[in-house]
Amino acid sequence: MLRRTIGEASNLSALTILAAALLAAPRAHAVPSFARQTGMACEACHTVYPALTHFGRVFKANGYLLSNVKQVRDVTGKKEELLSLGQTVPLSIMAQISYTQMKTSVPDLSTAGAPGVAQNGTAGFPQQLSLFYAGKIAPNFGGFIQITYANDSGTLGIDNTDLRFANTTLLADNKPFTYGLSLNNNPTVQDLWNSTPAWGYPYAATNAAVSPLAGTAIDGAFAQDVAGLTAYLYWNESLYAEVGGYRSAKQGQLNELTGGAGPLDGTASNVMSGVAPYWRLAYEYNWSRHSIELGAYGAEFRLYPGAGAPLSGPLNRFKDVAEDLQYQFVSDDHQVTFAGTHIHESMTLDASFANGGSANPKDNLSTTRVWADYYYRRKIGATVAYFSTTGSSDGALYPPTAGEPGGNPGVVVSANGSPDTRGWMGEINYVPWLNVKISAQYTAYSKFNGAGTNYDGLGRSASDNNTVYLLLWFAY
Amino acid sequence: MRKSKLPAGPLATRRVTAAWVLLCGAALCCACAGVRAQESADLATQLHAEKVAVTICGTCHGADGNSTQPKFPRLAGQNPNYLAAQLKAFRSQSRGDPDAISYMWGMAAELDDEAIAALAAYYAKQKPEPGPRADPAELTRGRDLYEHGIAAQGVPACSSCHGADAHGTQDFPRLASQHEQYILKQLGSFQSNMRKVAIMHGVAQNLRSPEMQAVAAFLQAQP
Repeated sequence: MLRRTIGEASNLSALTILAAALLAAPRAHAVPSFARQTGMACEACHTVYPALTHFGRVFKANGYLLSNVKQVRDVTGKKEELLSLGQTVPLSIMAQISYTQMKTSVPDLSTAGAPGVAQNGTAGFPQQLSLFYAGKIAPNFGGFIQITYANDSGTLGIDNTDLRFANTTLLADNKPFTYGLSLNNNPTVQDLWNSTPAWGYPYAATNAAVSPLAGTAIDGAFAQDVAGLTAYLYWNESLYAEVGGYRSAKQGQLNELTGGAGPLDGTASNVMSGVAPYWRLAYEYNWSRHSIELGAYGAEFRLYPGAGAPLSGPLNRFKDVAEDLQYQFVSDDHQVTFAGTHIHESMTLDASFANGGSANPKDNLSTTRVWADYYYRRKIGATVAYFSTTGSSDGALYPPTAGEPGGNPGVVVSANGSPDTRGWMGEINYVPWLNVKISAQYTAYSKFNGAGTNYDGLGRSASDNNTVYLLLWFAY
Repeated sequence: MRKSKLPAGPLATRRVTAAWVLLCGAALCCACAGVRAQESADLATQLHAEKVAVTICGTCHGADGNSTQPKFPRLAGQNPNYLAAQLKAFRSQSRGDPDAISYMWGMAAELDDEAIAALAAYYAKQKPEPGPRADPAELTRGRDLYEHGIAAQGVPACSSCHGADAHGTQDFPRLASQHEQYILKQLGSFQSNMRKVAIMHGVAQNLRSPEMQAVAAFLQAQP
């Protein structure tokens, strides 16, 4: 789904929002247009969508190009392909219809300081509606382009996008060697494994519950808010290496002077200085029905806080280094996935420390997420996940009050300045048909924004944010 | 009107001879060029088939046709006629076992006969790797069934069509070193007639599960 952009809520400090944007509902999608293009059932590329099988990973690395439908073609006398258009346009639609119930409702905000609570139980009809162009565009050029209407913003906007140039050649030892470029708008959206943030668990999540304050930058903070170009190599469908860079590409950012989009100035927040480098290394080994992947990835973001301050002077640096692991067992009857990632972030907050946005010149944050999926015949499944974020306490970065004094009561605050959040998720799924999924998900927090009880200083417990999320999710 | 004869004489003869030589030479050159063009077209088709086999088919079937996932059959050393017939059956959607529908109907949809022949030739020349050894007792039971059938159940010897070494014949598939799970699944599909092959339906419907298991384990272990 569309993530909240970093600059949307100007009443909070830029960095707080950077953190708050994290752990927002991820957007994970399967696209029937790929099935139409390849003529293959979903199970070729997915255990159950959106988790990819080995074949799905190779299909993605190859630029979503494999096509088994008749093509409209143009070739030169030297058989050079000038055009190759599938006669089936690779379009898909997807809908998520949901219901969210928190254990304890959040306060009513109609009047500052008013007693009472907001209505508990949020229906999203739809929570999200998406249109995709996903498939081949030209002989070596394919794309996954998603446009989404989301009920929280009430608007239509660009969602995950990954445009790829890709080619595969045979090496002298008859091993396949794939190389390509990805132009995308979300670090890790181009990744092949579900253990990295963009396509990791939870595959779908509510947008109507309280999210913790803290999360690392690579964990979705810049989703749909950047433009990145990366180059990758994929040797023998096993060794994967990628490098690239990202630059701010804020959506809906108006420059007062030009009256149009950009150039970005100090009215924007968390604007990248230069290009943020991104890297990825992974190795996958397949045997019998098993596959295992071990990898690492990282990025370094140097940001101007902006939001009223010029885009010059001191910077905040976020250096993220992460490891990931994925194991899969795929047979006709049983599909098992175990995956996880650990992200460590070092923050050097020269800009925020100078303007009071952080209490420390340096902070650190670590997130761990692990989960296990099981499906029986791709029909009935369950997932169990554990998540934990820990880091240095910082009373300005994770503030005890939201906004101005006397403003909104707590909920998304931390009374003790600690970012620590920990909990479990459980989910059961029923997949009556391969493109329709019905889920019931439960999130249980044992710690939220630094404490298990009274984390906001107003008596709210971490478990008050426990959430039931019911979802009907289908794509066509 | 009749054409005038060429003037007689040594010069004319030489001219005719020279013309013949030139003509024949040119024809030969054209023929050679034609052969070369044909050869290079064949070579180009073969090279393309090799690339398709390694980079597309190979993701499931293994670059050299020795797949590691038992869901996907081993194709290395398979008889080309059998492979071509199967690809055509996928293309025409006449082979109806579940994985054929889910995977191969799409994959084969746009293959032409030339590509099918080239792919079949590619896999036929790949060296099959031996499968894992089976339990000795199961191996013995499987061998007995493969070589002699079960007369009491009306099951003929598999070897009568697939060969004593299970390498198949021109039209019957090689079964040696094939994944046990794949063979079991195919026997099940023959039995249920999802994969409609009259001979194999007749054989499979008289086989019981432990017998299928034994023969599949035996075949997987064959070189």
